[in-house]
Amino acid sequence: MTTLLRACGFALALFAMTGAGPVLAQTGSSQDPDAQAQQERRVTQPGNNAPVWREVRSGNQGYTSLPGRETGVLVQSAGETWRQIRNGPVTFYGGWLVVIVALVLAAIYFALGPVKLHEKPTGRMIERFTLAERWAHWVMGISFVVLGVTGLIILFGKHVLLPIIGYTLFAWLSALAKNLHNFVAPLFAVSLLVFIIMFIKDNLPKAYDFTWFARAPGFFTGRHLPSGRFNAGEKTWFWLGVVILSLALVVSGAILLFPNFEQVRLTMQQASVVHMVSAVLVIAASLGHIYLGTIGVDGAYRAMRDGVVDEEWAKEHHEYWYNEVKGGRKTAPGGAVPAGAPHMREKP
Amino acid sequence: MARMKFLCDAERCIECNGCVTACKNENEVPWGVNRRRVVTINDGVVGAEKSISVACMHCSDAPCMAVCPVDCFYKTADGVVLHDKDLCIGCGYCFYACPFGAPQFPQAGAFGLRGKMDKCTFCAGGPEADRTDAEFKKYGRNRLAEGKLPACAEMCSTKALLGGDGDVIADIYRERVLRRGKGSEVWGWGTAYGPGKAGAQPPAGGKS
Repeated sequence: MTTLLRACGFALALFAMTGAGPVLAQTGSSQDPDAQAQQERRVTQPGNNAPVWREVRSGNQGYTSLPGRETGVLVQSAGETWRQIRNGPVTFYGGWLVVIVALVLAAIYFALGPVKLHEKPTGRMIERFTLAERWAHWVMGISFVVLGVTGLIILFGKHVLLPIIGYTLFAWLSALAKNLHNFVAPLFAVSLLVFIIMFIKDNLPKAYDFTWFARAPGFFTGRHLPSGRFNAGEKTWFWLGVVILSLALVVSGAILLFPNFEQVRLTMQQASVVHMVSAVLVIAASLGHIYLGTIGVDGAYRAMRDGVVDEEWAKEHHEYWYNEVKGGRKTAPGGAVPAGAPHMREKP
Repeated sequence: MARMKFLCDAERCIECNGCVTACKNENEVPWGVNRRRVVTINDGVVGAEKSISVACMHCSDAPCMAVCPVDCFYKTADGVVLHDKDLCIGCGYCFYACPFGAPQFPQAGAFGLRGKMDKCTFCAGGPEADRTDAEFKKYGRNRLAEGKLPACAEMCSTKALLGGDGDVIADIYRERVLRRGKGSEVWGWGTAYGPGKAGAQPPAGGKS
């Protein structure tokens, strides 16, 4: 509930920023109502410049002989709103969200341990991810981690790292973080699009996904939850984390990364809020994904590293997909694994 | 110590841009950056036109300082907001936060890549030793260390732009307002200098 309220708060603040933005550059014609008001005021109350001050405070463009974007604006108020959002809820709640998610995952790991197979692995491997799929995943994943870590340094480093490593070293690290963030971003954007196209088909929701959700709490205790190639949790991560939040990050990031398209400050302030909020949410969620893909579920990491899983693993974690593959209704994404391929070797 | 402030008298400013030129010349400001600019409201409308010179106002609760991810800003004992270009990473956050559009970035590469931020220093240099070559190259002249006030205000032909001890320039302005009998609005003071703490009173006459 509080999360929902907070989301509304962000939306309201963004709306307020929109309202405070410049409408259109006012021309200095006498048709301008503010200018007319000032002309009249000068006669009725000499020395009273209230209409001019209102105009100044509105954030509209005046005239200036100096070149540059928005140089005619005297006061732009939305920056203060941006500051309140960034230094307030985004830093505070965003920071604690990441920390708390990490602690919860650690608690799950130490309390319940990784999800293991119930039966002995068969030693027969079936292909789960093709080489192209793995490349798309890892290019996106590694660039995501670089962007995430450098972004966290830029948002939280001042509060966490600066007091420990000092100004000189932290400024050097931040400059490195900024440049890595800026130059890795396009790689992430491209790999994200490739990834979405490759994985969208198998992430389309199916009726059995809703059953999965109802029984999801049993996941960590090893309860059997049948699913297709991707379970409902993975599909949620795909749609919310990869599609919605990551695309929001790419679009808002592009607005911030290329300030040379005549976008005004208001646009960049709004893009920055969208960027930071999406980033904090997707980073927190990615911790869950990384946990389950590495130490959280036995056999999951190998699926993305080597592209293969044990038949028993497929049966226990993705039964419908396993049945499809075994029943020949659907071949593994890369076709059959040729006999004698390294992954076909029996486990000792 | 004095609290340094800028005050621009909109009844006096004639949009000569002398302050802009004085600043560029005195501080050898990087190409593409104007630390000060003059904006005209209702340009060309007889009886409604007012011009105002604007630069960094050296705010009490400076937004640039609050949002800088590397904490490169600092405030001198005179209340001047300065920054350390050796720490600055050129992220642009101070430019998002500043209401006056003071922080600017010389272009450092293709696609709008930002260099080190540059802004008005109230002619007070930077963190380097006073009046050294290194300080001049990065931040411009340190006139305060020479016992002088900012070049823009000193050069103003109509004395519209005042820069110096806030109490002294407020007294000068108060006297002008008394003679005119009207118009006590001190441009930008409400935004830059108050109210600061919750419950504190904004500076008298600060309407914008």
